[in-house]
Amino acid sequence: MRKDLVFGMAGSGGDGIVSAGDSLLQAAAAEGYHGVMTKSFGSQIRGGESSCRVRISTTPILNPGGNLDVAVALNWEDFLKFGAELPVSGNTVVIYEAATGIPENQIPLVGVTPLQVIAVPIAAMAKETAGTERAKNTVVLGLIAGWFGIGAVAVMKGIRKKLAKKGEELVNANQRAFDAGRAFAMEHPLKTSMNVAVSDTKGAVKLITDGNDMCAAAAIFAGCQFFGGYPITPSTEIMQFFTDHVWKYGGAVLQAEDEIAGIGAAVGASFAGKKSMTATSGPGLSLKSEMMGLASIAELPLVIVDVQRGGPSTGLPTKTEQSDLFAAAFSAHGDVIRPVLAPTSVADTFRITIEAFNIAEYYQTPVIVLSDQEIASRKETLDPIDTTQFKIINRVQPVGADLLDYKRFKQTENHISPISHPGMLGGTYLASGIEHVESGAPTNSGSVHQRMNDKRTKKFDPLKDRKDLFEVTGNPHAPIAMVAWGSVAGVCREALDMALAEGLNVKLLVPYLLYPVAEGVYNDFFASVQKGLIIDQTHLAQTFKLLRMHVDLPKGVKPLARSGANPFLPSDIVAALHNLLSELQRSHEGNLQPQE
Amino acid sequence: MSATGTCEYQPKDYKSDLKPIWCPGCGDFSVVQGIYRALAAIGRPPHEIAFVSGIGCSSRIPGYTTAYGFNSVHGRALPIAQGIKLANPDLLVLAAGGDGDGFSIGGGHIAHLIRRNMDITYIVMDNQIYGLTKGQLSPTSQKGRTTCTSRYGSLEEPVNPLLYVLAYGAGFVAQASPTDLVGMAAVIEEAIRYPGFAFVNIQSPCVTYGEEEHQIKGLKAISESLAGLGHNPADRLAAMDLAQHYGHKMHLGVFYRNPEPPPTYGDLVKERQTLLSKDALPKERILDLFIKK
Repeated sequence: MRKDLVFGMAGSGGDGIVSAGDSLLQAAAAEGYHGVMTKSFGSQIRGGESSCRVRISTTPILNPGGNLDVAVALNWEDFLKFGAELPVSGNTVVIYEAATGIPENQIPLVGVTPLQVIAVPIAAMAKETAGTERAKNTVVLGLIAGWFGIGAVAVMKGIRKKLAKKGEELVNANQRAFDAGRAFAMEHPLKTSMNVAVSDTKGAVKLITDGNDMCAAAAIFAGCQFFGGYPITPSTEIMQFFTDHVWKYGGAVLQAEDEIAGIGAAVGASFAGKKSMTATSGPGLSLKSEMMGLASIAELPLVIVDVQRGGPSTGLPTKTEQSDLFAAAFSAHGDVIRPVLAPTSVADTFRITIEAFNIAEYYQTPVIVLSDQEIASRKETLDPIDTTQFKIINRVQPVGADLLDYKRFKQTENHISPISHPGMLGGTYLASGIEHVESGAPTNSGSVHQRMNDKRTKKFDPLKDRKDLFEVTGNPHAPIAMVAWGSVAGVCREALDMALAEGLNVKLLVPYLLYPVAEGVYNDFFASVQKGLIIDQTHLAQTFKLLRMHVDLPKGVKPLARSGANPFLPSDIVAALHNLLSELQRSHEGNLQPQE
Repeated sequence: MSATGTCEYQPKDYKSDLKPIWCPGCGDFSVVQGIYRALAAIGRPPHEIAFVSGIGCSSRIPGYTTAYGFNSVHGRALPIAQGIKLANPDLLVLAAGGDGDGFSIGGGHIAHLIRRNMDITYIVMDNQIYGLTKGQLSPTSQKGRTTCTSRYGSLEEPVNPLLYVLAYGAGFVAQASPTDLVGMAAVIEEAIRYPGFAFVNIQSPCVTYGEEEHQIKGLKAISESLAGLGHNPADRLAAMDLAQHYGHKMHLGVFYRNPEPPPTYGDLVKERQTLLSKDALPKERILDLFIKK
């Protein structure tokens, strides 16, 4: 029995591949499994290629997995468009549409001999049983239930619920298609059985959601009452969630005329005393950057979510990348620090979004949540989260004596000044993008500018001591190390487990706080390190460069970077770690040679 | 709201201690006086007023009042004002700026604010020039005008702010000028009292870079009171007809006031919030939305 299976399926837009993935994930959750599902599309509005990966496991899952265990191709042209996103290996069972006419020994996968290749007349079975080829995805679910033991009951239960309103005949047609798929699997057993073990937590309550919905829910939980934004892939679902729910909590949402107006309205709502946010993706982040400078100098709390996609410009709008790191850290003009946080999974998007609001409110600053397309649009099964464990921080407001001679930008010991808002008697002031004295009155003075820059910079010092915004795992004194963040962190966590199991002496640092760079945390981490990898999905190795600006990295620490839509597999990382180990051993041997 | 009458506040209660940076003789001095008078007449306490501007000479204006001010970034007063109004509908929200701020760099926003009909009053100090950057062409500069960026004369037609906002569907549109301070204060007051978006274009001469005919004397020569012409402000088409003379004649007073103001965006938001509030899960249970049974 296996504990873990990775499915990858591709077809053209109308094939319902993603909907099959959804059904499979929900069925797996109902059967107590942990699951992660990622989707990937071409950028066509309708039709075009679409794919999903579903990973199912009896233990918690850290990432969407490496090579596929099961590949499903409804046609090869679309499957091949996903390249490294759907990697087939010698351990993969490949299932494909027989109507493609391609013999099993001639499938168009270069340089790889799969474990088993099975042509299935999927479309014909759908037509025969359901009367329409549109039931192809249900046949596929039946095949999966038959061959891998997942969803035999739960899939149809889910489909029944989903289609209940559409009439009994449609449900029955799907049932026949499902049964046909299952029967085909039973009649053609796999050469090597790949059934997944029954989960211990069968019947337990599970949540299923994606990173964007989780982010929006966390924001509302944190007390966010205003969202201003503009549609942009792949962040739009955050605004959609707000339009569905924020009214219920007395809040409002504005789908603005452009990205600038979206963040502008959010800045206004924050000035008016409400927690507010905006969300966007790369090009939108560029448009918003002037307003981020304004929010920094006016010291207004604000959360900006950037769901990264391949860039620059339109780039790869439906694929994940981490290349907005520089843009996030250094987004606006002028000398100012803007904290940047990054979640690593759907689950921790909840905590990180709350942290973003807490930091924004406490430090009176815009905070960027740097999510990415993978986290934003992947679905995870989650165990229920105890929300009462999360502390909510609100901005410090002037009270009593503060309001007798109120100075909005008053110098204080921690450089944070109590902030009033319109409606508060005694708290009136001028907020401005112009440099200002403590009262808020405009100034041109160089010395005031220096002092205010000091205030706006030093207030962040305590943030760098937030050890809870960093995760160190593995052997604490290991000579070999990795640093990774965002969706890549999940891959590295699995690679770490694999490497430790293989006896490598290695550790991993996952920063949730990317900026300001917490020099102390990195110095401590690298103290034992001789060789290491700074891993990110960027072309320029942005994380490596950002760290090198602030930290004296050991000489043996190098970047491992690649462009978006070329996902890292845990096995890639483990191979790279083995290379580091060999280098380390060679250099030690070298050191033993007598010196001239 | 603490004020019910008009006696409780005097214009000076809205004047801050900041000394304006404007050139002596600038039309904006009159505008700020008109705003003090209008606010005193309305009688809202200063801390219940949010006054937002962009960047430019005239955008300094919130700082010269005792209201909560926000001197923001170029062209973006209106989005910020909308966020304020949505966050706290009880505030009196004013926005102000120059013609470049409102009709050039920020020109895309006003159409959308108008179709949302938020209860915000927008005052444009229109001087047909970029003053703060020392005399470049503005969107309302006349065709042929020579400036430091149009040494051989402007090749562009000016925009017509009045006609634009009327065409976008604004419920209240007026024009005023420092040549008639009493009339200006009255028009601003009426704009603020209008329940919905209100626009006031104020011809505010630039004494440093403005042309001779745009100074007070020149403006007086082309001024005409709309009331004096017998214009009916409920007649939108007549208002648009008169607005076509922008740049040649200066009509003062109310061009258009919707006689049956529709509900504001704020009214509709409140209605929706009330309707949906019963569906709210307690915040600590918001993740229950994701439970799959």
